[in-house]
Amino acid sequence: MEKMKLKLLYSDLKPDIEIIEKELEKALNSTSHLLYDASLHLLRAGGKRIRPLFVLMSAKFGNYNIEKMKYAAVPLELIHMGSLVHDDVIDHSDLRRGRPTVRSQWNNRVAMHTGNFIFGRAIQYVSHIDNPKAHQVLARTMVEICNGEVIQIEDKFRLNQNIKDYFRRIKRKTALLIESSCEVGAVVGEVDAINARHLKRFGYYVGMSYQIVDDVLDFVSTDKELGKPAGSDLLQGNITLPILLMKDHPKIIEFIERASKGEVTEKERMEMLNIVRKSDAIKEALSISDQYLAKAMKEVEALPNNPTKKKLKEIALFIGKRKF
Amino acid sequence: MDASYIEKHIEQLKMDIYRHVQHKTLLKYTGNPLVNENQLFYMLLPFFNGENWDEEKYEGIITVGIVQASLSEHGLIDESEATSKTQQLTVLSGDYYSGRYYEILANSGNIPLIRQLSEGVVLRSEHEIRVYEPNNYTFDDWLQSLTIIESEFISRFYQQYNFEQYRAIMETNLLALRLQQELANYKEGNSSLFFLKMMDSFVPEDSLNFEKFMEDKVEKLIHQLLELLHTSLLKEELQLYIDKQLIRQS
Repeated sequence: MEKMKLKLLYSDLKPDIEIIEKELEKALNSTSHLLYDASLHLLRAGGKRIRPLFVLMSAKFGNYNIEKMKYAAVPLELIHMGSLVHDDVIDHSDLRRGRPTVRSQWNNRVAMHTGNFIFGRAIQYVSHIDNPKAHQVLARTMVEICNGEVIQIEDKFRLNQNIKDYFRRIKRKTALLIESSCEVGAVVGEVDAINARHLKRFGYYVGMSYQIVDDVLDFVSTDKELGKPAGSDLLQGNITLPILLMKDHPKIIEFIERASKGEVTEKERMEMLNIVRKSDAIKEALSISDQYLAKAMKEVEALPNNPTKKKLKEIALFIGKRKF
Repeated sequence: MDASYIEKHIEQLKMDIYRHVQHKTLLKYTGNPLVNENQLFYMLLPFFNGENWDEEKYEGIITVGIVQASLSEHGLIDESEATSKTQQLTVLSGDYYSGRYYEILANSGNIPLIRQLSEGVVLRSEHEIRVYEPNNYTFDDWLQSLTIIESEFISRFYQQYNFEQYRAIMETNLLALRLQQELANYKEGNSSLFFLKMMDSFVPEDSLNFEKFMEDKVEKLIHQLLELLHTSLLKEELQLYIDKQLIRQS
């Protein structure tokens, strides 16, 4: 249902998104059946494709040509996909989007090769673009995503972290790739420097909001909606914004300590979810997400008037209010 | 040019690779990137042989070393259990190196080499995953996979800078060295999946066992390499170095 709403929002771009979808399948083609199956397994599990969408929408403020833009849009989704495959190895995850992960369906090594193959294809694809600036943005983002993940591992189960640590982490983990989607779209679409900066900032703010909402959904959604157990982030030691806003709660401290030893029972998980859901932390976290959204809207306001401007606002709002 | 001159340059290249991917946390948990000095020698071979050499090519081989290290790190991931902090950071160190090779080349605008190396990553992944496929590959198919794993990135660098005359020597030597290593591991009871797959594909002839067959294969490769060396335009000191350091001592 939610995915339908998103599709309606970008209906103007539907033919181009279909081209991207076909290109994604083409990009994952391989002489290895196993690599192809493993990659396709993830591609077909769905995903909102918001990164390619932002690439295309950003280019609408410059010289838009789908035949050129696909070489920027496809790699952004592939980088996202490749990092998911490797993340599942790091987190030992069995499910993603309700389906078995590559590592659980095959094994960790197959997942490593699949992730590397997808990253390789992403860079191979973007190498059709001869503008070094686009490569610099993308490469820097890939490095920073890793830095964010390293920080995330270091911060696991660390109770003495603050909200600033959290923002530093989600900036690298999520916001940068969305920011880069807008920036690369603007660079390849030859958008002028001032508007490119607005688009870049818009991507950053939307990305921050997106991750905060994601972290809230991990507590308030059902296992079925998430396609994995609710509260998984905390079980894995990732202390996200709702928890940071109530980290002095004795039950939460106790839960984190037990989770760090892998001793949490199903009953305790449900109890923790109840505490978080009933607290003000969810409302507060969503209010912080709204503040980022408001900043994103301000950036869109500064862009020249065209039909995409309205769509950017609608999609940003959708992301901030989404339920999946 | 003697052995110490060659080794000094190999050491310098290794240090430059380390320097370009230095990361405090990763270094603490996963150590320096995995680099193979025999491969470093072959990256530098055109330079040693007096080919036209510049900063761009040197930076190119640094990135070749980094991308090799990236995939080697991922080879250390356990098939079923990678939950320790070291294993988690090993996944990330490989990803970090992969981002760094791209970043270095992007910053200098070397898009042709970006394309070469990314194609190399795709091809190498396709061959590395073969051990998990149900297909019945022949012994020669496995040799082809090992050749790609050991030498594809260097071949791509040679191709980019018109050094292809060194390719056959490099591929033959690196394959021989890999097979020797596989045999040594087998004798110590640590056979790799590749070795086991090669063994499965072996069709016995005249009661020749697999170990003997592999030893003969290595001998043939060394013989082939010596022939290639004698007909090559490599400087005599380099021929001698390869003979002494990479064949006799291996």
